[in-house]
Amino acid sequence: MQPCHGGKAIRPRLYFTHLKTLITSSDRSNLDIRELQRFAGLFRYLSLRDVIVRYKQTRMGFAWSVLRPLINIVIFGSLSVLIDRGEDVGDKFLHVSAAVIIWQLISTCITDLSNSLLSNANILTKVYFPKVLLPLSGLLVCLVDFAIAFVIFLLVFILLKGLPPLSMLLFPLVLAYALFFSFSIGLLFSTASVKYRDVKFIVPFLLQILFYASPVFISSEFVLRYNLPDILKGLYQLNPLVHIINAFKYCFFGAFESFSPAYFSASVLISLFLFYGALRYFLRFEKTFADHI
Amino acid sequence: MSEQAIRIENIGKMYILSHRAKGSESLVASIGSGLSNVFKSGAGKSKEEFWALQGINAEIKKGERVGVIGRNGAGKSTLLKILSRVVKPSTGRIEYEGRMASLLEVGTGFHGDLSGRENIYLNGSILGMSKREIDTRFDEIVAFSEVEQFLDTPVKRYSSGMYVRLAFAIAAHLEPEILIVDEVLAVGDAAFQKKCLGKMEEVSQKEGRTILFVSHNMATIQNLCNTCMYLSGGRMIKYGKTEDVIPEYLRASREMQSQDLSQRTDRSGNGKFRFMSFGLKDTAGQSLIAGHCGTELIIEIFARANTLLNQLELAMGVDDQYGQRVAHFSNLVTSSPFEKVNPGDHCFRIRIPRFPLKSGNYTFSLYSTVNGDVADWIQEAGNFDVEAGDFFKTGKLPPEGQAAVFIEHHFEMI
Repeated sequence: MQPCHGGKAIRPRLYFTHLKTLITSSDRSNLDIRELQRFAGLFRYLSLRDVIVRYKQTRMGFAWSVLRPLINIVIFGSLSVLIDRGEDVGDKFLHVSAAVIIWQLISTCITDLSNSLLSNANILTKVYFPKVLLPLSGLLVCLVDFAIAFVIFLLVFILLKGLPPLSMLLFPLVLAYALFFSFSIGLLFSTASVKYRDVKFIVPFLLQILFYASPVFISSEFVLRYNLPDILKGLYQLNPLVHIINAFKYCFFGAFESFSPAYFSASVLISLFLFYGALRYFLRFEKTFADHI
Repeated sequence: MSEQAIRIENIGKMYILSHRAKGSESLVASIGSGLSNVFKSGAGKSKEEFWALQGINAEIKKGERVGVIGRNGAGKSTLLKILSRVVKPSTGRIEYEGRMASLLEVGTGFHGDLSGRENIYLNGSILGMSKREIDTRFDEIVAFSEVEQFLDTPVKRYSSGMYVRLAFAIAAHLEPEILIVDEVLAVGDAAFQKKCLGKMEEVSQKEGRTILFVSHNMATIQNLCNTCMYLSGGRMIKYGKTEDVIPEYLRASREMQSQDLSQRTDRSGNGKFRFMSFGLKDTAGQSLIAGHCGTELIIEIFARANTLLNQLELAMGVDDQYGQRVAHFSNLVTSSPFEKVNPGDHCFRIRIPRFPLKSGNYTFSLYSTVNGDVADWIQEAGNFDVEAGDFFKTGKLPPEGQAAVFIEHHFEMI
């Protein structure tokens, strides 16, 4: 117990005072949930910082978070309509826009998370905290941007097509899967980036490839109908992003572009494996980040 | 008060230094080696183990204020980093109880775009304060920092003084059981430093908090710490009462060290005169490894005259770490050249009554002429360290970055 001093003094919470800490030379670090809880405040301020800072000193400020998705929807939506003037122009426009906003979430997540350790190097080398807070807070910040984009898209959707169908109820699951997948990749790259600055060159390329290997602009229906070797089509369907983006479209349109339960399960397995591998890799090197960064 | 707060057992920290084998440095070659590095790691490199810290054992009692002293590279900061769990030790273990906060830097995580208010919360939470704690101490922190007016201004618009004051104010209001401070108090203006030290002392004495404190300033250590740990070359030389450890440290820093110049080939001049070696001494004639700001320093230059010399001019230029010439010593300016110098070895002394340069590493060049012709000239002949000292005999120095040299002065009101 602390002696009380002055009127304003407050006692540190109990689990701090009786906390015993052991520092060893062991490499291993664990995900300690109780420890994460203790650092909840730091998590909050790190996230808050990134949200506040994002549009600081811009003329339009917060309006950017509305404008960015809106511009994206307009550009990609109109482009797709221009290229392929199908039966239903509005439908085509909405399909691509939906894919674009979920793609934006995933790609900004991967970019931001990959960079999250390096961009916080100044804190990393000066104080102790569970490092996983950095990619986690990055995830939260991306989610804030996505929420705004999502609302805008929903308004456009209702305007053009009316209320979305019941399949919308699946949306939280799809979002969770998207975040899970982006987090795994982000975690993997952020860990690698501590030692290898090559990551900052690799990530943009990877995202470019993923953009074309996912049904963002080119629908999976089109890809699967196209005259491609079967092995490529198989690989394409193993990409978890194909299923995430298609599932997101399904939420709005109630119909799948293409769905194969076998490939879907395989892609889920791949995502789980990715997450496990990324987490292992991260925890293996967490304690040596400050030595290498 | 005799309870144990921290137990350090056999702590060591090893780094692997890799030296790249020298080779052609052309663009094509570096692309080639870059690609080959992808496949074979460590090819063409030699590796060396370097122990920044080795075999450190200590038991620190609750409420103890421990000063950690030693020269640059002694392992002080490494020890603090291990204690604050920023880096992992290579050997050994440490056990401690309670909450630990470490101040390895002032204003860790400060974000220039955030306001003072926002930074108080961000930095506070980085240092381990809960929101509730920050809320209750917020007014105190603001009052302590003296920046009330600018609380909602982004800190990038702050003057450096305001920035540091705000950062200190947050740190000073930390109330962990164990506080680790790494030389951060060297920045900030003297009055504010004193205020912070006072606050730290008050916290430690009244509430029995344990403090580990690194400083080069012996006066501060003497004032603040009751126990001292003296590190050198990564090992603990002595651990005990401050009054026993500090003299030992000062004695050790006087050990003989002079720099040999006789083998240097990058020199010019006709060779009638040759610089041989260089060293620093104190008034008692003891060799020093570093000059101390504010105390008398004797620069000794050993040199050889190869013939009978007339009109020997000696000069020494001192550059700071940025290559900026900061001082010039020359007998041509202060008096006149030595009229006659007999053949043989001689020792020349430059006596500086109160060494005025701030702490840091300085490089010097040596220059001599005989009868107006350059006899020996060595650029970047060597370097020496200067340690901070009590120049004004007040225990205070101007804020870091505000003064490169100290000038004796007096304020008067008439």
